[in-house]
Amino acid sequence: MSENLNDIITYTLNHLKSRGLDEYEVFGTASHDNEIEVYQQDIESLSVSKSKGIGIRVLRHQSVGYAYTSNLSPEHILECIKRAISNAKVTHKDKFNYLPVRKDYLYQQKPIDLELLYDPCFYDYSIEDKIKAAKTLEAITQAEDKRIIGISNSSYRDSAVEVVLANSNGFLDSYKKSWCYLYVNAISRQGDDTSTGDYFSTGKHLGEINLEDIARQAAKRSTSLLGGRKIKSVKADILLDPLVAAQFLNLIAEALTADSVQKGKSLFKDKIGKKLFSLDIDIYDDGIMASGLASAPFDGEGVFKGKTKVFDKGILKTYLYNTYTARKDNTKSTGNASRNSYRSVPSVGINNFYLEPKKLNFSQILSETGSGFYVMDIIGLHSGANAVTGDISVGAKGLWLEEGSMAYPVKEVTIATDFLSLLKSIKRVGNKLYFIPSSGFIGSPALLVDKIMISGT
Amino acid sequence: MIEKELIRKVLSAMLSGGGNFAEVYLQKSKNNTLKLEDSKIENAVSGFDLGCGLRVWKDNRTFYGYVNSIEPKLLLQSARELGRAAGLGKNPYPLQLSPKQFEPLEILDNFSLPGNNRKKNILLEVDEACRKYSKNIVQVSSYIADGQQETYIANSQGVFSQFFLQKVILSVNAIARKGKEVRTGHKSFAKTLGYEMFDLKKPKEIAEESAAIAINMLEARNAPTGQMPVVIGPAFGGVIFHEACGHGLEADAIVKDASVFKDMIGKKIASELITAIDDPALKGHWGSYSFDDEGYPAEETVLIKDGYLESYMNDLRSSDKLGGEPTGNGRRQSYRYMPYPRMSNTYIANGKSSSTEILSSVKKGIYAKEFAGGQVDPATGDFVFGISEGYMLENGEITYPIKGATLIGNGPQILKEIEMVGNDLDFAPGFCGKNGQSLANEVGQPTIKVSSITVGGTGN
Repeated sequence: MSENLNDIITYTLNHLKSRGLDEYEVFGTASHDNEIEVYQQDIESLSVSKSKGIGIRVLRHQSVGYAYTSNLSPEHILECIKRAISNAKVTHKDKFNYLPVRKDYLYQQKPIDLELLYDPCFYDYSIEDKIKAAKTLEAITQAEDKRIIGISNSSYRDSAVEVVLANSNGFLDSYKKSWCYLYVNAISRQGDDTSTGDYFSTGKHLGEINLEDIARQAAKRSTSLLGGRKIKSVKADILLDPLVAAQFLNLIAEALTADSVQKGKSLFKDKIGKKLFSLDIDIYDDGIMASGLASAPFDGEGVFKGKTKVFDKGILKTYLYNTYTARKDNTKSTGNASRNSYRSVPSVGINNFYLEPKKLNFSQILSETGSGFYVMDIIGLHSGANAVTGDISVGAKGLWLEEGSMAYPVKEVTIATDFLSLLKSIKRVGNKLYFIPSSGFIGSPALLVDKIMISGT
Repeated sequence: MIEKELIRKVLSAMLSGGGNFAEVYLQKSKNNTLKLEDSKIENAVSGFDLGCGLRVWKDNRTFYGYVNSIEPKLLLQSARELGRAAGLGKNPYPLQLSPKQFEPLEILDNFSLPGNNRKKNILLEVDEACRKYSKNIVQVSSYIADGQQETYIANSQGVFSQFFLQKVILSVNAIARKGKEVRTGHKSFAKTLGYEMFDLKKPKEIAEESAAIAINMLEARNAPTGQMPVVIGPAFGGVIFHEACGHGLEADAIVKDASVFKDMIGKKIASELITAIDDPALKGHWGSYSFDDEGYPAEETVLIKDGYLESYMNDLRSSDKLGGEPTGNGRRQSYRYMPYPRMSNTYIANGKSSSTEILSSVKKGIYAKEFAGGQVDPATGDFVFGISEGYMLENGEITYPIKGATLIGNGPQILKEIEMVGNDLDFAPGFCGKNGQSLANEVGQPTIKVSSITVGGTGN
């Protein structure tokens, strides 16, 4: 078998032809990954990998079956086809089960400049450059502040991936993507108190990364929380750091997928056309954003990715759809069929999802806050926030604010509310977007939230 | 799966750049998942995976790579590349020629692996049982997954180990609605066994337990706020020890000075009521294995004995650095990943009190029965846990269910504040994430009482 992904996919398509199937689809990826971790100015670990695999989706009598393999010998591909077909015998029959049709794929030109996804520059950086970047990041973070006693993790990761998708309706297309990620976590100590703080940055290649900025942010986040104390339980205004706000926004995005709405698992069910924010807030899911880590020309089923306005002036306009859920609601796919890898069935997912910033810069928003709790980090989001019931109760640390300036650090408290109240309570929005890589690429400015329960002693 | 002669060549190639340790990790696996939602089998997925992870140490540095192949040419090529990356040293480290012999540990006898139809019926039975439990159950999502894994490990110190693992998990999520109130309930049942695991517990029972949580919670009132005594229920309650202390006892955190338990061996770190154990050799448990992912045999490790810290959990790397023996805790998700010290089945051993005694000792506090999970910062020990099924305790009685509650505190501190330990040890399966790798883990504990934890709710 050829090493070439296109050849492997062609081979697989040819063998799917004669199996009496209604439709079929093959999705393949080939990737190169590097991961470097340094510790005390030496390489702690360096990992280089090459990975390849295909996922086969078949439809027969309106039932779907799926199988994947990383073993790409001809006999294993045939075994994989066989399993996909036998899996289609056990799943339910559904009239909306068919692949996107030709008109769903038709676009005049590439919706996104492919060079925005993949920069050939990526290969200009040697492994030595990448090691040096991680070492430099460790050293300059450590040097930021005397109270930093160690760096628990300074690492570089990157990936270059080729994605190929083909189906029995004649779709065949591919694209390449590259990204890199630098991360540092600083441990600081003062007296008996230990504190940690981390920061990261992403880009298409190493040249896009500003190491000084990562070091400064991580050091600040670590040291500014030293000497943190519990406070008495109180209801107060909270200012969400953009990176914290983005984590909440991620859960909101997940609850906006048509799949969770149709299954009655979303608090946004029956809320289309309703004003859910008090402010005129706009939220977008953008699959073709120039600097977006989640950008691609087509989604996991080959449908054109576009830009969807999910909230317009605080009013919920639409859910996020793949082909199947769109047919069920008698609408069009928004290009949100997502595939984490060839190992998973396409589902409804998030692209670059962000809350449109407004005018206030950070110091303005601080003075608007007056006294309250500036939340710099939250923990326990996945166990403490339930997008089905809407409950939120998470651990938080940050700084107590008095008259718009930092009074003292706070730790070991929780903040509790529910999603719909949280949306309603947002009263100020910052002017600068920060993105986090998560189930999509999620961006938010700083958000000032009215009166929330803080639990301490 | 592979010729020994090829393994020897691959290991030599990896050491050609002067590395002092080399390891080959070959893995072939198969898995099947059926998922139900809306009372229908929504998807059925099968996967075949094959790959080889190669690891070289050169002094303190680890070099790792993997390929989706066990083809000799590609393996040797990757081994040479990695060997070169590992350094410019001229003196290859010798291979140990006498293999280490380990007694294979039997954790799995005959197992049964049915076809898709039986699995489909199990899921339909789960759906029916949940919906029958109450008309307020409005949605059921459930999946059943099985996996088989054949692993072969060889290293330059003479370890040759080969083992097989077979696991099954049934997971049930029920959603209940009454008016505007929506509540969820979750239970899973998972073993290192085949489908004969359902002789131990019926799918119907798991479904009903999950539905019962969602239904009980429909009546929940807002959780209280502030510090109070907390009784933590058996089985999944052990997740608190796992997160708040277990991770800090994984020796990579010790090596990196990122654990609050550094330099604490032999010291009293917990209430004398506490004995805690990690044991991957428990038969059939979800976190069990016969060999760890570095080829070392699984064994019981006593972590804390009567409040005194006895041992960390080691992999080869950390035992090398800290000077000790590997404890059989070197684990990884697959050939795609480097091993790290990880927990297996970790539990707090039985104490003397009955659960009734413990509950009735609380004047005003909460009973945390089930958790949605949690998170901890191992460098500080600070943790947070979401309670998914909790009740108010007043004058020794359970009075009403509470919602939206979170526990927040510090692991080492909580360990000292455990006042009572029950005699009803039980286990529960879960997944544990660390360094981007997700592993099958089991937690266990009897009912325990902590004198004071901060509860974060919205009520008073």
